[in-house]
Amino acid sequence: MELSDANLQTLTEYLKKTLDPDPAIRRPAEKFLESVEGNQNYPLLLLTLLEKSQDNVIKVCASVTFKNYIKRNWRIVEDEPNKICEADRVAIKANIVHLMLSSPEQIQKQLSDAISIIGREDFPQKWPDLLTEMVNRFQSGDFHVINGVLRTAHSLFKRYRHEFKSNELWTEIKLVLDAFALPLTNLFKATIELCSTHANDASALRILFSSLILISKLFYSLNFQDLPEFFEDNMETWMDNFHTLLTLDNKLLQTDDEEEAGLLELLKSQICDNAALYAQKYDEEFQRYLPRFVTAIWNLLVTTGQEVKYDLLVSNAIQFLASVCERPHYKNLFEDQNTLTSICEKVIVPNMEFRAADEEAFEDNSEEYIRRDLEGSDIDTRRRAACDLVRGLCKFFEGPVTGIFSGYVNSMLQEYAKNPSVNWKHKDAAIYLVTSLASKAQTQKHGITQANELVNLTEFFVNHILPDLKSANVNEFPVLKADGIKYIMIFRNQVPKEHLIVSIPLLINHLQAESIVVHTYAAHALERLFTMRGPNNATLFTAAEIAPFVEILLTNLFKALTLPGSSENEYIMKAIMRSFSLLQEAIIPYIATLITQLTQKLLAVSKNPSKPHFNHYMFEAICLSIRITCKANPAAVVNFEEALFLAFTEILQNDVQEFIPYVFQVMSLLLETHKNDIPSSYMALFPHLLQPVLWERTGNIPALVRLLQAFLERGSNTIASAAADKIPGLLGVFQKLIASKANDHQGFYLLNSIIEHMPPESVDQYRKQIFILLFQRLQNSKTTKFIKSFLVFINLYCIKYGALALQEIFDGIQPKMFGMVLEKIIIPEIQKVSGNVEKKICAVGITKLLTECPPMMDTEYTKLWTPLLQSLIGLFELPEDDTIPDEEHFIDIEDTPGYQTAFSQLAFAGKKEHDPVGQMVNNPKIHLAQSLHKLSTACPGRVPSMVSTSLNAEALQYLQGYLQAASVTLL
Amino acid sequence: MPTLDVPEERLRKFKYRGKDASMRRQQRMAVSLELRKARKDEQTLKRRNIINSCPYPPSEKPAKGMPGSLTLGEIIKGVNSSDPALCFQATQAARKMLSRERNPPLKLVVEAGLIPRLVEFLKSSLYPCLQFEAAWALTNIASGTSEQTRAVVEGGAIRPLVELLSSSSVTVCEQAVWALGNIAGDGPEFRDIVISSNAIPHLLALISSTTPITFLRNITWTLSNLCRNKNPYPCEKAVKQMLPVLFYLLQHQDSEILSDTCWALSYLTDGSNERISQVVNTGVLPRLVELMTSSELSVLTPSLRTVGNIVTGTDQQTQMAIDAGMLKVLPQLLRHARPAIQKEAAWALSNVAAGPRQHIQQLIAHDILPPLVALLKNGEFKVQKEAVWTVANFTTGANLDQLIQLVHSGVLEPLVNLLTVPDVKIVLIILDVFAYILQAAEKLSEKENLCLLIEELGGIDRIEALQLHENHQIGQTALNIIEKHFGEEEDEGIILLDQLLDQDNEFIRITKN
Repeated sequence: MELSDANLQTLTEYLKKTLDPDPAIRRPAEKFLESVEGNQNYPLLLLTLLEKSQDNVIKVCASVTFKNYIKRNWRIVEDEPNKICEADRVAIKANIVHLMLSSPEQIQKQLSDAISIIGREDFPQKWPDLLTEMVNRFQSGDFHVINGVLRTAHSLFKRYRHEFKSNELWTEIKLVLDAFALPLTNLFKATIELCSTHANDASALRILFSSLILISKLFYSLNFQDLPEFFEDNMETWMDNFHTLLTLDNKLLQTDDEEEAGLLELLKSQICDNAALYAQKYDEEFQRYLPRFVTAIWNLLVTTGQEVKYDLLVSNAIQFLASVCERPHYKNLFEDQNTLTSICEKVIVPNMEFRAADEEAFEDNSEEYIRRDLEGSDIDTRRRAACDLVRGLCKFFEGPVTGIFSGYVNSMLQEYAKNPSVNWKHKDAAIYLVTSLASKAQTQKHGITQANELVNLTEFFVNHILPDLKSANVNEFPVLKADGIKYIMIFRNQVPKEHLIVSIPLLINHLQAESIVVHTYAAHALERLFTMRGPNNATLFTAAEIAPFVEILLTNLFKALTLPGSSENEYIMKAIMRSFSLLQEAIIPYIATLITQLTQKLLAVSKNPSKPHFNHYMFEAICLSIRITCKANPAAVVNFEEALFLAFTEILQNDVQEFIPYVFQVMSLLLETHKNDIPSSYMALFPHLLQPVLWERTGNIPALVRLLQAFLERGSNTIASAAADKIPGLLGVFQKLIASKANDHQGFYLLNSIIEHMPPESVDQYRKQIFILLFQRLQNSKTTKFIKSFLVFINLYCIKYGALALQEIFDGIQPKMFGMVLEKIIIPEIQKVSGNVEKKICAVGITKLLTECPPMMDTEYTKLWTPLLQSLIGLFELPEDDTIPDEEHFIDIEDTPGYQTAFSQLAFAGKKEHDPVGQMVNNPKIHLAQSLHKLSTACPGRVPSMVSTSLNAEALQYLQGYLQAASVTLL
Repeated sequence: MPTLDVPEERLRKFKYRGKDASMRRQQRMAVSLELRKARKDEQTLKRRNIINSCPYPPSEKPAKGMPGSLTLGEIIKGVNSSDPALCFQATQAARKMLSRERNPPLKLVVEAGLIPRLVEFLKSSLYPCLQFEAAWALTNIASGTSEQTRAVVEGGAIRPLVELLSSSSVTVCEQAVWALGNIAGDGPEFRDIVISSNAIPHLLALISSTTPITFLRNITWTLSNLCRNKNPYPCEKAVKQMLPVLFYLLQHQDSEILSDTCWALSYLTDGSNERISQVVNTGVLPRLVELMTSSELSVLTPSLRTVGNIVTGTDQQTQMAIDAGMLKVLPQLLRHARPAIQKEAAWALSNVAAGPRQHIQQLIAHDILPPLVALLKNGEFKVQKEAVWTVANFTTGANLDQLIQLVHSGVLEPLVNLLTVPDVKIVLIILDVFAYILQAAEKLSEKENLCLLIEELGGIDRIEALQLHENHQIGQTALNIIEKHFGEEEDEGIILLDQLLDQDNEFIRITKN
């Protein structure tokens, strides 16, 4: 591809077409460009166009295309061909800086991006001139050019803020510092001088301030990793000027925009960050500048308005003070009572006020408001920053600060009392202040866990919170209502129960409030109160205490779901779930209505599931209804099936992916509730559950396995007799699961259920194949998790089919296999098995191998007898071996897959822990002793000699303990 | 320069017994670069004699205004004269010029080509005064830049200086010791020339119970310069020669001597385990530990550093330091008023914490956790950093009981607070510590309580915010912690929604942020 006019013309045509709205024209053009981009000179053609084209649109289009081309192709990936020829690379690097700097802003931005992409790969080694080229431009005096350079430098250097120290990185930084630090400092000084020269020229100031912002950002990047020698030597220059800039104001730079931060705000914000960086990391060197910055930043806060555009600046500035005031050696800067008062009065209180923007969010964007207010996603807000400052100050000055604020709270409450409808915001601020002052530690689960003892929370609750909630009109002063409810929520562990219980009917009443925030908070508060634990870990509120309100509670909760904006309100649904859980049998009288409402909701949301938490709690509520009702009356399960199956069928037929795992879990619960044989309606579903497509989705697997386990538990005989042809399908599922490192434990759950429940003759013909599959997986990829499950399985097999059967099946696959398994897997790995039931299964299984397996006594396997016994005693007595080989660290290992389907996603659909050994063996140690005794009576003399010759002393001691406990001896 | 302000120094020598592969990897990333201003070493590298009082009897003292004020030209002329008296006069004038407190004209004197003559004078054993003045002048030239020192060496000064060590004139001898100290202090190259010129036996021969204290100080300082510097280290033979004397000097009461002796030992222990072994085997540890309690900062600093170096060695060497009582002394050093001492102490501690569980146990037994936590809370950042490393090493090496003690000591609160610190490495280490402790808590079924504790301290908010960190590894580690341990609060074990809905497990993250 030559650099010819003809080619430029062609390229222009195609670029034009890529802008065409009609895909039929656009796509082929894009395809064409991609097909030729590998040619030499292609990028140079683009650069020529973006410089020289007559058409502005083409210029921009060429610059964007160029940037994307660089993004895709510049990086040289090992073992892949170099996609840009060397000559082009050199030419691009030689021209791009100049081009970028002489281009209009729109194009400059694209080229600047391209430079940083190239820089990331080539700078500094393969682009040694870049720095000098950039630095030389500082001399130009043209701030359009200078800002271009600064922007590029910023994009190249900002990675110093987040990359780990390395030789390579520090070499680069050193290089940059050597070439860049001094010119940057000079530029900084010169720019500041120009600012005073041009103090009356708004447009010049804007450009100069953009430079200062970029320079300040570069300062941050260059100083991040460590304090460079140059900046330590020149600290005075930088800090003095930063300090001056912090205190600077110029009417010309103030913007009318209330939302968007202006240049002054951005600059000061960055300077706060720079000061904070030095204060935190280089305290020793920065110490003498710090007091001045504290004063300047504090003055800045006092004089900065309430507009949203100042938010970032204000919160950065407050965070700076907060981080400084809790450091012991700066304590003295704050301890003066006047200083403290002034900070409280002029910095904290004003930033806690409920602003117009908050009010707007409260009304029109309540979801966001709730998230910020309740879930703490308010990290960058002024209120949050102010709270952090309160907490920081309280570290050393809790008494004085509490005293100062108490006065404020009182005066604000008085203001409110004078004229509530006008002054309600004063009360809001008072409540907020009390909250932030009182809360020292907080969790979602318990609310406030440590409170400031100087604040009387109960008194405030009784005098100022309860009255608001008692007012007849639930829609009056919604913000104060929300504040009051939130107060109950977070101080629930501080306010005594007798006061809390008074609030319950009030909260139920507020479920009807029109304001989304208010009824959501009411639901959430109820949910939290119902979760509280009293003595003995019972719920703090008993069903009996809530009984008087059951009907109105349930009615209002479901009614709240019909309020505008709350049809899928997760807080309400969670409160429903929690109420069921607390009230238990008390809901039975209403169950028909409840389940109808829940089913209707289910049908409605299944059209377009969008609120995962809501949906989850809804299914939990359904499970709870089933459990509670069927516990009292198992026959009622049929009613639930009637009510739910229609919806379930629809969900399955429409393949509502989000809900299918839930449906399977609810069905498992229903199926397990049946006491007798499996109903035919379920059997009809059985073949469908084995369809491979269902198992393709990993999200289905735990629930499906759970459901199949329920089938096997309840209907193994029916399956064996009426659906024997489905057994291969069942094993097919097992085979698929076992092949996956992520899901193999699920495969074992299924296999264990098959072994435990299916009549032996029905699986006889498949047994050997099952073992072969397991061995194949062992050979291909042996992981700790697989071994653990495998050990549980073979021991369960041993229990179920006998020790001899286990030995025979191994040796039937390959002679001496049994010995190998003992030696290479069971003995060395048994210590890794986790979980009580799992360990018990293994203990009983190994006991059988030791005592009921003749080949262990009189073949070459005999030499493994004592080691096996030793490892069993180890399993009883030694701590679990939880080491994982290094190479497995990065495999996604599920925590502790056990014999149980441990996932139990729907808590209220969960099954009870199942112990297949259960009644057979209570104490596996005693069982071992008894079994050994029995063995020794069969062959007197042999067991004691085997035990005494090679069992280690410690193990022997334990064993003697077991024998004593079982009152038996070895003969 | 053996200063520990060079962090990679520590990294390179860091014992790391951790289990976490990612942490270990970071250890190996030794950086041999500094952005910081080079720290002035606590011990003087080279010294210039600026004492203007002449050690000679008054009679020999030159008359006022006479030779002291010669011009450089006159000096050149003088030293090249064949008259010893003129030579003496000129040399003394040169020495005085070089002893000026402000900007002595080292460069001019070197360029004037005086050195060869001065070296000549060293050999004029008939004129000890001349030898003395020449040695003094050379001492001062050698105190200059490396280039100036090189001029002295290349002028052939070393051999005659070593010979002067046997001079019958104590003052000449002392000045030679001094000059050799300056030359050796320049770096390994000249140090080794001094050593190979057989200076050590002569130096050692000067030490006896009757050596005057000022002289002994000088000798000790020169010996320390012979131990100083690595790449390469002084040869083993030289070290072997010096060690017994250093051991002897370490018993002295003079703080200057102690200081320089400790510095010497600190240089010798700043290396491989074999080097540490040589030093430790002389039995210096108990005395070193004793000196760590010295009220003289100049003694405390190098003794602490030496012991700190020793515990970078093998477990056995560390055990010896512990047996010598270092852990008894560390708590008070961690509480020392000076941040530099706190930092060194924390560094030493971090290496004990990297040892086997018995060492960790002893660390607990000596009640070191409370001052450690105090440093994490209120120390300067450079001290906090060392303390964080200590906690990290402790965490990865400890057993469950020890971890419980660590948590009970209140370590989590400052760790949470440090999560916002502008240092990516430290943030990552803290996240790893949390991951590790949470995992341990899981085994003890204590996870719920621990999670609540971390939440109370504001930890969840901070870890959540770190999920968005621009450093990918930090983001990922934070994300893993949140997903694995804080996926969903719930009392009754409800919900692992993200597992259940594998196909779109994004939503939890989205709704949370």
